[in-house]
Amino acid sequence: MTESELAPAEGRAAQKRLVVDARGSWCPGPLMELVRVIQEEPAGTEFELLSSDEGSRKDIPMWLEKAGHQLVEMTPESGFDRYVVRKTHD
Amino acid sequence: MTTGEAPRAAQMAVVLTESASDKLLPVATLVSGAVAMGMRVDIFASYWGLTAFLRANATAPATVSPGHGPEGLELEERLRAKKAPSWRALLEMARSIGEVHIYACSQSMDLLGLTKEQLDPMVESVSGVATFVDRTRDASVSYFV
Repeated sequence: MTESELAPAEGRAAQKRLVVDARGSWCPGPLMELVRVIQEEPAGTEFELLSSDEGSRKDIPMWLEKAGHQLVEMTPESGFDRYVVRKTHD
Repeated sequence: MTTGEAPRAAQMAVVLTESASDKLLPVATLVSGAVAMGMRVDIFASYWGLTAFLRANATAPATVSPGHGPEGLELEERLRAKKAPSWRALLEMARSIGEVHIYACSQSMDLLGLTKEQLDPMVESVSGVATFVDRTRDASVSYFV
């Protein structure tokens, strides 16, 4: 897993966004990496999860709904998908 | 709660009797999925499932179940080429994000002449079958591998 901190998007007050690059990681690797970083970071943090695992397309939205966090965006890219996720509560 | 009892989390029980890599990887994957979903997992390692946790076997090459020789080895090769994590690494990751308990079957320990010190520290304790059954009596899912 590689994580890097990006500058907060404009208009958002110093919000942290972490990139979790799980491309190449197999099911349920990307979900596990997301669960781990969500456990570690405070509420309000945004994550950008990159996954090339097809199972993630169902697993990630389903987990987010159960855990009560927000799927801000899900964008197919070339060879992987980009999930923008917001941790809404501790 | 009026009864004063804490609510129980969903629980998965796994009885593991096999040691081949092509059995252990699916088990570790299943356990990973369970902890990701917030389930507690209890694993009872028995017979060959216990030998999988021997410290001495930690760096042993991948093994394949009987009946899957050549194609099994090919799959193992493919997994290595794709740098897939080992079942051990997956299980460690599952333990780091959730609640996973691994018990060694006391009867198998005796049968195989093993001591707790010979086992991977992932194994929490040596347990009799009745204790394991009691611990998992409320499990909503159980698997025998």
